Amino acid sequence: MTAVEKTSPLPVRPRRGRTGGGLGPLLLRRLRDGVITLVLVVAIIFILAHVVGDPALVYAPIDATDEEIERIARNFGLDRPFHERFGSYFADVFTGDFGESMWQQRPALQAVGEALPDTVQLTLVGIVGAAVFGIIGGILAGSRPGSLFDRGSNFLSVTALSVPNFWLGLLLIVVFAVQFGIFPTSGRIGPSSIVLPALTIAIVHGGRIFQLVRSATVEEMSKPYVRVARSKGFPHRRVLWGHVLRNTGLTTATIAGWEYVRLWGGAVFAIEYVFAWPGIGTLTINAAHRQDFFVLQAAVIIAGAFVIVANLIVDLLYRVIDNRIKAS
Amino acid sequence: MSTPLLEVRDLCVSFATRDGVVRAVDGLSFSVDAGEALGIVGESGSGKTVSSLSILRLFGLFDDVTLSGEILFEGRDLLRISEAELSRIRGGKIGMVFQDPLTSLNPVMPVGEQVAESIRFHTGATRPQARKRAIELLDRVGIPDAAKRCDELPHSFSGGMRQRVMVAIAIACEPKLLIADEPSTALDVTVQAQILLLLDELRRELGIALIMITHDFGVVAATVDRVLVMYAAQPMEYCTIEHLFDRANHPYTEGLLRLVPRLDHRMGGRLRPIEGQPPALTEEISGCPFAPRCGLAEERCHNDRPPLVRLGPHHESACWLATERAARLTTPGRPWETPS
Ligand SMILES: Nc1ncnc2c1ncn2[C@@H]1O[C@H](COP(=O)(O)OP(=O)(O)OP(=O)(O)O)[C@@H](O)[C@H]1O
Ligand SMILES: [Mg+2]
Repeated sequence: MTAVEKTSPLPVRPRRGRTGGGLGPLLLRRLRDGVITLVLVVAIIFILAHVVGDPALVYAPIDATDEEIERIARNFGLDRPFHERFGSYFADVFTGDFGESMWQQRPALQAVGEALPDTVQLTLVGIVGAAVFGIIGGILAGSRPGSLFDRGSNFLSVTALSVPNFWLGLLLIVVFAVQFGIFPTSGRIGPSSIVLPALTIAIVHGGRIFQLVRSATVEEMSKPYVRVARSKGFPHRRVLWGHVLRNTGLTTATIAGWEYVRLWGGAVFAIEYVFAWPGIGTLTINAAHRQDFFVLQAAVIIAGAFVIVANLIVDLLYRVIDNRIKAS
Repeated sequence: MSTPLLEVRDLCVSFATRDGVVRAVDGLSFSVDAGEALGIVGESGSGKTVSSLSILRLFGLFDDVTLSGEILFEGRDLLRISEAELSRIRGGKIGMVFQDPLTSLNPVMPVGEQVAESIRFHTGATRPQARKRAIELLDRVGIPDAAKRCDELPHSFSGGMRQRVMVAIAIACEPKLLIADEPSTALDVTVQAQILLLLDELRRELGIALIMITHDFGVVAATVDRVLVMYAAQPMEYCTIEHLFDRANHPYTEGLLRLVPRLDHRMGGRLRPIEGQPPALTEEISGCPFAPRCGLAEERCHNDRPPLVRLGPHHESACWLATERAARLTTPGRPWETPS
């Protein structure tokens, strides 16, 4: 036997992603970023309300005189200097005082707190449906690009993606609630109420998950190690499950996680409103209609915080699992 | 004579691409006897990899490929058997080592498992049996401390070590034939030599036939019995290793041999690159593909494809001038040293 070369002391390829410094520092860094983002959100809301708009006008009745408006402004402390107002506003928000809802005659936070669980429930059911469509479809399509299934499902997903979500919601209402009467048209009157709004989410977001998972699978299938696995004689399915999915599984789960966060940032508002689902989305839109500034602000900040936290969790889980795999 | 282990007859492979049809292999024939080593030599793009992938039909997902000809292995035509039958042969009777060891292993599977899974699949061995055998194999191909390292992921192995793992995978089920596609090109020089030596040892020890694909005559000289020289998807010359160095017939082979740096000459003077570029494979080539670059080309070389001329039991050359050149070169000696 000849002399054997030593393994190089440095890893030949750098590890994927930044693993720099372990999870503790990463967690701190991401928490810091999250807090900064949240502070920015609050600051922007303050600027919109107090600098661009005038809260006194919002409060005053439509036929109020100038003196009445000024009195309201004094009551709210709006005659104080800018930095003082900003400071006390901040202190209020971060101690959980979001003001009173004028429309519902109760603390704004309470109204939001009541709506939150409904939205969490709807989005979770919706995203699970989306993940089932998107992940299974994306893997099957991406593992045989150009096949009949690939072309068919690709067409469907592009359609699902490009249809406006409220329109899709209305379509489902017309077909399944009005025509066939299988599900209620709107509101939350029983367990079956969740089906149509969740299905809308599943279709729209499933389309996107499909696209992302499909392209991740195609990319992975083109890697040289897949040819090696095939050269061992493994049939297609074994190559896919035994090799390719081991590599794309984590990416796929992350795609679904990010999609969940995206859902909170958009579609859920319109979809809830179309179905009159009693969650944060419907609450926000109604508050906007009624110029209920405090509820609006509370909803935006709470939803923002939720998105930031969910994002953080997805990211951290990715790192933890990724490190686990690397270190195993 | 008994029938060869592998016999390729008139293999043609073409890809339909956006830029037209690429004829990647055009009329290739060769055979490999049990335990014999064949080298396939040619410059980049000449169709070596495509030829080897054809044998086990290992083309990529997006390849729109058309194959014709025959690939007879133990009497069966691999181009015509079903995917299921072929899967018994892949990794079982024919093993393959690929060019790039850094990307050839699954990054999230321990190396030992990558060897063992093939053993389990082909022999039905149990997990512990396969693992034990995998460790023996890793040890045999020169992985130090194999029993411990078999549970590590590929990223903790160097390029040379990963290529050793690849070799272990390829020979795991005691194949009859090993196809190595430039197994050492991506490695540095000292490691290259070790991998080649390892393949050579294993071949002799286990009696495996070998197809060694390379563009390096040094590799050929060290490891093979016979050589097939390819140019622009076509076979140019097919001969034993002795004939190659003593009696190369084809002007292209001769041109390649002039490129081999030799210690007994000072560098520079004798190293003459072949002028020009190989033809594009999307175009129809009517004459000899090498004619535009060949100093000896005549009218017919440009117009008609030369036949594969048989110069002896183990020597063929695809050149219109083959017979007269063979007559001139029968005196032993190195062709490029004969004064013209
Ligand atoms: N999948 C494919 N689709 C289209 N053309 C291809 C494909 N694979 C190879 N080719 C073309 O076929 C020709 C032969 O390629 P091949 O990879 O066999 O060359 P090679 O001799 O192995 O070269 P190298 O020494 O660079 O590995 C090249 O012109 C290449 O562009
Ligand atoms: Mg090649």
